[in-house]
Amino acid sequence: MSSAVATGREGGRAARLAGGLAPVAGVLAVLAIAAVTTPDLYERNNLTLILFLAGLIGITAVGQTIVLLTGGIDLSIGAVIGLTTVIVATQTDGRGSALPGAITLALLAGLAIGLANAGLVLLRDVPPFVATFATFVLVQGAITAWTRGAPSGDIPDALAPIGADRLAGIPVPLWLFAGLAGIAAVVLSRTTVGRRLYATGANRRAASLSGIRTGRVIAGAYVVSALLAVFAGLVDAAYIGHVDAQLSRSLNLDSVAAAVIGGVALTGGRGHIGQTAAGVALLAVLLVWMLQLGAGVGGQLTVEGAAILLAAWLQHRVPSGRTNR
Amino acid sequence: MIDRPRLAPTLALLAAIPLLASGCGGEREESASSGGAGPCAENSQAKQRYDKSWQSAQRQLGLSGLKPPDLRLCDVDTSKFKKSAEDGRYRVAFAAQGPTNSWALENEEAFKYHAKQRNTEVLYASANGDATKQVDNIQQLASQDPDAMVVVPMGPGIKGQVAAAARQDIPVVLCAGRLEGDSGAISTVARSYELQATLWAEWLVKQLDGEGRVAMLSGIAGVPTAEYQKAAAEKVFAQHPGIEIVSKEYTDWSPTKAKTVASTLVSKNLDGIWSDSGISDLGVVEAYQSADEPIPPMTGDSSNAFLKAVDGKDVEFALSAFPPEQSTQCLDVALDALAGKKVPNVVNVESAAFTHEQIDEYIRKDCSDDLWIPTSLPPALLKKLKLC
Repeated sequence: MSSAVATGREGGRAARLAGGLAPVAGVLAVLAIAAVTTPDLYERNNLTLILFLAGLIGITAVGQTIVLLTGGIDLSIGAVIGLTTVIVATQTDGRGSALPGAITLALLAGLAIGLANAGLVLLRDVPPFVATFATFVLVQGAITAWTRGAPSGDIPDALAPIGADRLAGIPVPLWLFAGLAGIAAVVLSRTTVGRRLYATGANRRAASLSGIRTGRVIAGAYVVSALLAVFAGLVDAAYIGHVDAQLSRSLNLDSVAAAVIGGVALTGGRGHIGQTAAGVALLAVLLVWMLQLGAGVGGQLTVEGAAILLAAWLQHRVPSGRTNR
Repeated sequence: MIDRPRLAPTLALLAAIPLLASGCGGEREESASSGGAGPCAENSQAKQRYDKSWQSAQRQLGLSGLKPPDLRLCDVDTSKFKKSAEDGRYRVAFAAQGPTNSWALENEEAFKYHAKQRNTEVLYASANGDATKQVDNIQQLASQDPDAMVVVPMGPGIKGQVAAAARQDIPVVLCAGRLEGDSGAISTVARSYELQATLWAEWLVKQLDGEGRVAMLSGIAGVPTAEYQKAAAEKVFAQHPGIEIVSKEYTDWSPTKAKTVASTLVSKNLDGIWSDSGISDLGVVEAYQSADEPIPPMTGDSSNAFLKAVDGKDVEFALSAFPPEQSTQCLDVALDALAGKKVPNVVNVESAAFTHEQIDEYIRKDCSDDLWIPTSLPPALLKKLKLC
């Protein structure tokens, strides 16, 4: 009996280890295959692109991870990114002096969207994917109604350093992601807030009975996610330097994909930022490799979808109730 | 017990989002060709007119010998639609794309402005870039018994509803897009996709002396605007064995996505980029500038944003306009039908095509990036729309 328990524990540990190493192994495998099939992937511009994408996707994935840990999901991130670029362009029209006001407005909009998501989930018990998807559609509609489909204005050059510049040869967005990921990792693993977040995601009722105000924890997660989406919006606006009406189309799923591929559980309470970082790396490499292969939109979405499904499938082989922390 | 949300619906929704997003409107959403409600005998005059529009377009880019596609061209007898307007004003239904982007905004504002000039009442419905919604729109507009209807087609799915409206003896004009086969519409008024794509491809071939490595950038996969143009360009490149197509990508008509895609093209030593959009070209310029590499000759439609981005820089390009104001011609054809005049079953909208050498003639530094140039909208309207 005791040996069976021991075997079970070892099996669980092995499964968790496999789950944790899978994205890293995936990155290495893709890099190895690419070295043979598409050596151009190692060309400077492509490597820079991988690092930039990792930075941009990573910023949103940190917020998404925090929401996923509470047992929720945030599908409104792409819309918040799009809204941020529209706010910056329309409010500044390229004037650096108007940037602080525009950023404040974008943060307030992000705060409102985060609170709206939390309100729907907590007060009306709306399933998170429905609530945040509704917000996504609502914000998209609001952008169209506000701008009549033609968001005018320019992005100020003063914003460029956070999106288009490099520091020590590495795109600034990656540094920003690294900083945010570091902060999030410390908060999640070494603070009371982090422990409450995991407890809420693992079992909300038990957490509530133990005195944790789970509503506040969940609301905080959605607000942080929305504010990080605003930050990602600023980075993206700085990267392209133009307002982009089609932006949210291409960015709405990447944060979920990165976190889930990394091994963060869709069911809450399991996962850490290191896994998200590994997922971000794999996704960024995959996206650029797919471009190198000329896989087209169909190929790219198929591979991204398959990676999410594979990750979700692997997660469900891990015995439930165990944490990956 | 762990309180876990259900995984299956979450994954199903995640899978559905890209599909939903792709249905939510691109730069322009339209489809393919024309039928004809009345008798429509082929005649050489109609063909001459159409050929002439191709010839004038190619002359603008210094090209020659481009052959238009083989179309059935004729003048449609609209005598059965002839009627006098009640209260002196015709009521024309306009099934529009909806202001999902700056092109669509200008398209419908031009229509409304021209309608006012022609003392015509507009019954308007917005599809928000969605073919399914447009099916309902056409049905509702037809039930209001308009004198004529102008439809900016969002996709092949609306063909049945267009045919139903035509069966109600409403003269329908397809505008800035087309429907394949016989939809019952009396006329299709649009800048030809084939002309746009062929102009760009042939200019690129000429610029490269028939030899070089070329990448093709299209808008949204599956959207007719993108696919028809891509197919027409491929046909041209196939006739030039010296042209090697190195890469074919989609940009979603997003400068951000285009920059991402173009960043992977920088290392491919391209000699030219065939692109269907000036908006995507913005991203290409950004990518090459970031990599500090010379920008290869490129093509696209005529966005003021692109001209502003390359003004003063050493970039070779050829642009050809897909003018939003073509909606005014659509209205004119509808009103001609109500007057009982013969109308062409296909009108190729004439528009400006130009290269980097004429940038000073076309750039509007005083206007917004969103302006599609050259514009024929009056200054007061441009100001009202915050475009200039």
